[in-house]
Amino acid sequence: MEKNVKKGNAFTNNPIVKMIGTQKIVVLGVIILLAAFFSVLSPAFRQYSTVVSIFDYSYYVSLMAVGVTFALITGGVDLSIGTGTIAAGLVGGYVVGHYDLPVAVGMLVCIAFGLFLGIFNAVTVAILGLPPFIATLGSMMVARGLGSIMAGASSITWPQAGTPNGWFRSIFKINVGGKMIPIGFLIVIAVVIIMSIVLNKTRPGRYIIAIGSNKEATRLSGINVVKWHSLAYLISGFFTGLAAIAYAATFQAVVPGTGAGLELDAIAGAIIGGTSMTGGAGTVGGTLLGVFVMSLLKTGLPFIGLQANWQQIITGIVLLIAVFVDILKNAKK
Amino acid sequence: MKRRVISALLCVVLVGSMLVGCGSKKEESTSDGGDSSASNGGEKIEIVSKGFQHQYWQAVKKGADQKAEELGVTINFVGPNSESDIADQVQMFQSAINQKPAALGLAALDTDALLDAISQAQAAGIPIIGFDSGVPGAPEGAILANASTDNYVAGELAAEEGYKAALGDRIKNADGPVRVGVMAQDATAESIINRGLGFIDKLKELVEADGKTISITGNEKYVGDSAIDDKKSEDGDVIVEVVVPSQVTNELSAVDCQTLLNKKDIICIYGSNQHSGEAMITGNANLDKFGEGDDKVIGIAFDSGENIKKAVKDKVFIGAVTQAPVAMGEALVDLCVKAARGESVSDVDTGCQWYTSDNMDSEEISQNLYD
Repeated sequence: MEKNVKKGNAFTNNPIVKMIGTQKIVVLGVIILLAAFFSVLSPAFRQYSTVVSIFDYSYYVSLMAVGVTFALITGGVDLSIGTGTIAAGLVGGYVVGHYDLPVAVGMLVCIAFGLFLGIFNAVTVAILGLPPFIATLGSMMVARGLGSIMAGASSITWPQAGTPNGWFRSIFKINVGGKMIPIGFLIVIAVVIIMSIVLNKTRPGRYIIAIGSNKEATRLSGINVVKWHSLAYLISGFFTGLAAIAYAATFQAVVPGTGAGLELDAIAGAIIGGTSMTGGAGTVGGTLLGVFVMSLLKTGLPFIGLQANWQQIITGIVLLIAVFVDILKNAKK
Repeated sequence: MKRRVISALLCVVLVGSMLVGCGSKKEESTSDGGDSSASNGGEKIEIVSKGFQHQYWQAVKKGADQKAEELGVTINFVGPNSESDIADQVQMFQSAINQKPAALGLAALDTDALLDAISQAQAAGIPIIGFDSGVPGAPEGAILANASTDNYVAGELAAEEGYKAALGDRIKNADGPVRVGVMAQDATAESIINRGLGFIDKLKELVEADGKTISITGNEKYVGDSAIDDKKSEDGDVIVEVVVPSQVTNELSAVDCQTLLNKKDIICIYGSNQHSGEAMITGNANLDKFGEGDDKVIGIAFDSGENIKKAVKDKVFIGAVTQAPVAMGEALVDLCVKAARGESVSDVDTGCQWYTSDNMDSEEISQNLYD
């Protein structure tokens, strides 16, 4: 992405703009505009509790999106993250509720399930060479069924806040004198910083970007393509597990059979944030901003009184615009 | 070479998925049919529910399994993955007909989508018994009987008890217009629609009896079908606002609830099933507006489940309506067997009850509450 900035005008040549990246600044502007727009139209939107809610509902999507960014950057995709998140949440919650284990065990089970899904995708995509869209479409269905079976096909309730095992809900939100503090945001920021460093400053991250830019050239330069390609899907799976914990901490119940469609929110977030559909470009920070555009739309549109179906239409149009911008950018190159 | 390997793999996956598909169906029938697989010459009954996600359906299935064992028949209890999967349910019902069962049980997600298949079953001479939502608008005589909660009456009960407990006083003592939110999971299933309309129509009756005016806004289906005359303006002393999410997800419904809770004139929200009730709890998490007292919002829920039970127990919700799912499952299988044996059958109202933190531990109520 930084490359496109080269030619640019005074704005794009500004060192600060260069450092952050044009697309991210544009997306940040969109976020501010959206927030201002909703605030003007709906007094109820300008409330602290609304901000907390936007954060609440963004954690699991953010985590899924950070993971899937790595799969997208290799030029692939991971469609299994949505149903995978629900399946991991079901299995983890089932273990806690059914065997009376500490909630920490359930959280580890979530991550283990996510990693399992990541390994599954790594085998089909990176080792067997199946097209990522098809391979992860398969694992998406597998996860949907598997989660239901393993949890006994009924909805699962994780321990409630206030119960001894309910402490995990305060990982993301603490109650200080009746005021809810969305500390999960700090976690998400920390995750984004760490994964940005992994992507841009470490060898594995560089290799993952290289695979997305030109897989054959990467292979010919002696890099173990299978290994690093697999890693991208493992990361995606790992974050699926983390997203499951965030989901369980936010919502009352994890319901089997759901989750299809959540992955699209995460992928849309990554694309809006500047990750290229064709691979080789993208940033974790941009993804987070993209997710916030989605979250703002989802939370904000009902506040201005738009009926449910209009919300989907508008969100769809925003996504189309983002992809179109991506295509324009590639054409310029 | 590589391409050949891939195509071979794809074939394996394809065939494998078919086998898994067939296999899983068999598994379903054995696991869902409970212990009744060894019945001697017992009739085979196919039951198509709305899904298994909510514990409510587990309780219905439990009742059905019990009755099937008692009567020595085999049942196959299936349902789509989620209550948005209308097309999946049509397919399931179609394959249920193809099994040529002695009788069919059906809780329709969307009656219109099932009409063709229902006519087929009718032509094949397979009796259909409706349960839960039933199958309203089906061809004359296709549905022999229903085992269901009278959902309209259940909705009325929620309005009546809620009004008596707190809502009535709040409306009578209000200085300006007040708003009552109705959260419905969808505008397609008969049970959900009637619970909403029962509540709305009863509320209208009660409000007008107290000399106040009422208007309605929100989802077109509910607005159009309700008995409230003022469907255009928001001018009533009481404004009913009906919200329906575009998809049945926790997040969308929770946001809907928050939007309602943030309106200045809101005094009450009614959620007409377990999904909506749980979304009300999630939506309230950051706002803490539900509860008792004049500065709080009255919460009225439907069905149970761990979260809703806790909310009622802690007086976050003033009360909820529960159905009798176990009795419903039993009545369903009973009706199916009777119909299969050519006996005459008629509708069974399986009943509903209002529960609050005071009476929820009584045996009469607690047998119908599930986790």
